[in-house]
Amino acid sequence: MNAVRKTFGAKVAVEGIDLVVPQGALYGFIGPNGAGKTTTIRMIMSILFPDSGELSVLGKKSAVESKDRIGYLPEERGVYKKMKVAAFLVYMGRLKGLDSRGLKPKVMEWLERVELADVAKKKCEELSKGMQQKVQFIASVLHDPDLIILDEPFSGLDPVNMRLLRDLINEQHAAGKTVIFSTHVMQQAESICDHIIMIHEGKKVLDDTLGDIRSRFDPRVIHVDTVGADDQSDLISSVAGVSSVRQSEGIYEVKVLDSMDQQQAMQNILASLPVSRIEIKRPTLEDVFIEIVTGGSPSGDHEDVRAKLLAGSKETQEIGS
Amino acid sequence: MNFTKITRVAGREFASTAMTKGFIIGALVVPAVMAALIPLIAILSAAAQPSADKGTIYVLDHSAEVFNEIESRLSPEEVRSRWEDRAKRAANFAKGMMGQSGGDQIENAMNSIKTPEFRVIPTAPDADIEQIKTEIRNQLTSKATLDDPLEKVLAVIEIDIDASKKVNDAEGYGSYQAFFRPKLNEETVSEIESGVRWSIREKRYENAGLDRDQIKELASISQRESKEITEEGERNESSGIATFLIPIASLVLLIVATMTGGQYLLTTTIEEKSNRVVEVLLSACSPMELMTGKIIGQMGVGLSLLIVYNSLGIVALIAFNRLDMISGQTIILFFVFFLLAYFMLASMMAAIGSAVSDMREAQSLMTPVMLIMMIPYFFFMPVIRAPNSMLSTVTSFIPPISPFIMIMRVSSTDPPPAWQIAAVIFVNLIGVFIFLWLAAKIFRVGLLMYGKPPNLRTLIKWIKMA
Repeated sequence: MNAVRKTFGAKVAVEGIDLVVPQGALYGFIGPNGAGKTTTIRMIMSILFPDSGELSVLGKKSAVESKDRIGYLPEERGVYKKMKVAAFLVYMGRLKGLDSRGLKPKVMEWLERVELADVAKKKCEELSKGMQQKVQFIASVLHDPDLIILDEPFSGLDPVNMRLLRDLINEQHAAGKTVIFSTHVMQQAESICDHIIMIHEGKKVLDDTLGDIRSRFDPRVIHVDTVGADDQSDLISSVAGVSSVRQSEGIYEVKVLDSMDQQQAMQNILASLPVSRIEIKRPTLEDVFIEIVTGGSPSGDHEDVRAKLLAGSKETQEIGS
Repeated sequence: MNFTKITRVAGREFASTAMTKGFIIGALVVPAVMAALIPLIAILSAAAQPSADKGTIYVLDHSAEVFNEIESRLSPEEVRSRWEDRAKRAANFAKGMMGQSGGDQIENAMNSIKTPEFRVIPTAPDADIEQIKTEIRNQLTSKATLDDPLEKVLAVIEIDIDASKKVNDAEGYGSYQAFFRPKLNEETVSEIESGVRWSIREKRYENAGLDRDQIKELASISQRESKEITEEGERNESSGIATFLIPIASLVLLIVATMTGGQYLLTTTIEEKSNRVVEVLLSACSPMELMTGKIIGQMGVGLSLLIVYNSLGIVALIAFNRLDMISGQTIILFFVFFLLAYFMLASMMAAIGSAVSDMREAQSLMTPVMLIMMIPYFFFMPVIRAPNSMLSTVTSFIPPISPFIMIMRVSSTDPPPAWQIAAVIFVNLIGVFIFLWLAAKIFRVGLLMYGKPPNLRTLIKWIKMA
C-alpha cells in the first residue's frame, strides 16, 4: 500500500497509508472504532477502491485478480438464513473457484474441527451467533488461501471458542499463510501477533514488531508496593531520579525522570524505604494505544479515554466505520 | 468478469428461488391443477344434472284450435327426437371449433341433460284457471308422493281467443299466458314455451293460407364465413374474442413473468444486504459478477414460468383446434420481448434492492417502477383497437414499456411490419444497455451502504461517484 487515500464525501476515512505486509507474517491491525480499519481492509480486498495511491495484493494490481487466493472474514458478516450450513459452505467454496468434487468432505472435515459437524444439515438461521461466526471463518479459509484477512474475528466468541479460533489462526500462520486480523481488543493482538499496525483517524501511527513497540513506548514507570499502610508518596517522590508518584489500588506508580537510568532509580527507591515488591512496568498495547489516541498526554485518565472511545464508536453505520 | 462465478451465483439464485416448495406450488402446480379441474368440472356439472321433469301440462285453449298442435308438438316422441337432433348439431358445431374430442364432450354433455316427458291435457273451455293453479299449490304443499309421476302438474297454459286468428279486424293477434310450477329445469320451461309458440305460429300460417315450408325457405339465408381482404390474399374475419384474447393473454403473461423475476431479484438482494452476507460474497466475486449472476438466475425463474404457461396456452389452443391464432414467429418474439423487458426491470430492481436496507424502505422507490409497469394496461384498449395507429407506434418505441406494447401488437391480427419490430428491438437493446449500466453503478455503491434509505438525488450522486 502506498499513500492510499479514501474519502466519503467530506469525511476522510483513510489518509495516506503506506503499508507493507511480508509474506508469511502475522499482523495485528488495531485502532479505535472509526479509525479506518475496515475501510483499509475493504480497499485491500478491492471492495472499495482508493481515491488515490497505489495498492498491490499478492503481487497483483488489485485483489480482484487474486480473490480466490485471499480468505476474508468481513466485520459485516452474514449467512443465507434459509440455506443449510454445509450447502452454504459448499456454495462459498465453489464461488471461490473450488472444484465441487471433494468439496463436501472438505467442508465436513472443517465442520468437525470446529465441533459443528452435527449442525451441517441445519439451516444457518438456527445457529447461534458464535456458531455462525465459526462457519464464516471456515468460509474464509476453506479454499486454502495464501492471504487471510480477518476483520474482528473474535467479537462475540466465548473464551473456549476464542482459544479455538486463536489456535486455528496460529495454525494457518505456521503453515506459512500471511494473516492480517483487526481487533480493538488489545490483549488478543498482544497474545497472537508478532507485528502490530495501528491506525488512528485514517493515519498509520504504528507499524512495528511487538518487542520494538514495547521498548519504544517504555512508560518509564516503576511499580512499588511498600510495607505498611502509611502513605509513603512524599517519601518516594523525594528519592533522586523520581519525577512523580501516583497511587492506584495500593500500588505506587513511580514515574522516572528521563535523565535517570531505571535500574538506578529502582536501587535508589530500595535504599530509601522498605519495599515488599518492586518492578519495572511493562507497557501493554493498551497503554500504547491510549497514549497514541490521546496524543501522548500522560497516561493518566485511562478510564476517561476509554469511555470517550466507546461513546464515539457506533454513531454511523456507513462504510468506513 | 469471471464467467464461472457468474454461473455459480446464477445457479444459486435460481435454485434458491425456483426450487422451493412455494414457487413450484404457486407457479407450476396451480395451473396444472386448474387444467385438470376443467374436465372435472364438466363431469361434475353433468353429474349434477337434475332429474328429468315429468308431468302434466294443462292447456286452456280459448281459441279452440291450437291445442292439437301443442299436443303433438310436445308429445314424448317429438320432444325426444328434437333433443337428440339438437345434441348432434351442437356436437358438429363444437367439432368445428374444438376438434373431435371437444365435439364428443359437448355431445355427451348435451345427452346427459335428461329429456323431459309431458302429458298434455286440454281443460274444459270454461274451466277456472285458478282451480288448476290451486292444484299445483296443493301438490307443492303435500308431502305425499304421487302414484304416477306424470300426475305432477308442471304448467298451465292459457291461450287467448285471438291467438291464432284475428277477431273483428283487430290490429294484431292475441297471445298466451303460461304459469309454471317453480324450480323446473330451464330446458323444460323453454321446451314448453317454444312448443306453444311454435303451435300458435303454425295455426296462424294455416289461417292466413300460407305454407309453412315456404315461409321457412323464404326466411332462411345460409350462413357463410366472412373473409377479410389482406395484402397477400384473404383470411377468415377475425372473431371478436380472438382479437382480444391473444394480445391480452400475451401482455398479462409478459408482465407476470417479468414481475415475478424482478420481484424475486429485489427480495433476494435486500435479503443478502440485510443479512450482511453481501460482503462475504464480495470477497469472492466482484459486484458486477454478483449482479449479473443474480439477474441471470432470476431470468431463469421468469423463463421457466413463461415456458410453463406458454406450453399450457399452446396445449389449450391445440385442444380447441385454434393453433392458427398464434404463429411460431410470435412465440419467438415473445421470448425476445420478455428478455428485453426483464433486463430493464431487473436493472431497476437490482439497483433498488442494493440501495435500501429492508423491504419497507424499498416501497417508496418501488412506486415509480410499479407505475411504469401499469402503463401498458392503460394502453391496452387503444393499442388493440388500432395496432398500427400513431399512438401504438410511438409508444412501442419508448423503453421500458416498449416490449409490452409490442407484444400486444405482434400478437394482434394486424402485426406491425418487420422493419418496425427490428427497430424496436434495437431501441430496446440500447435501453437495456443504459439501464444495466446505471444499475451497475448504483449496485456497486449501494451494496455496502447502510443507514437512511437514499432518495433519487442520492442515487444520482452514487451514479456519478462510481
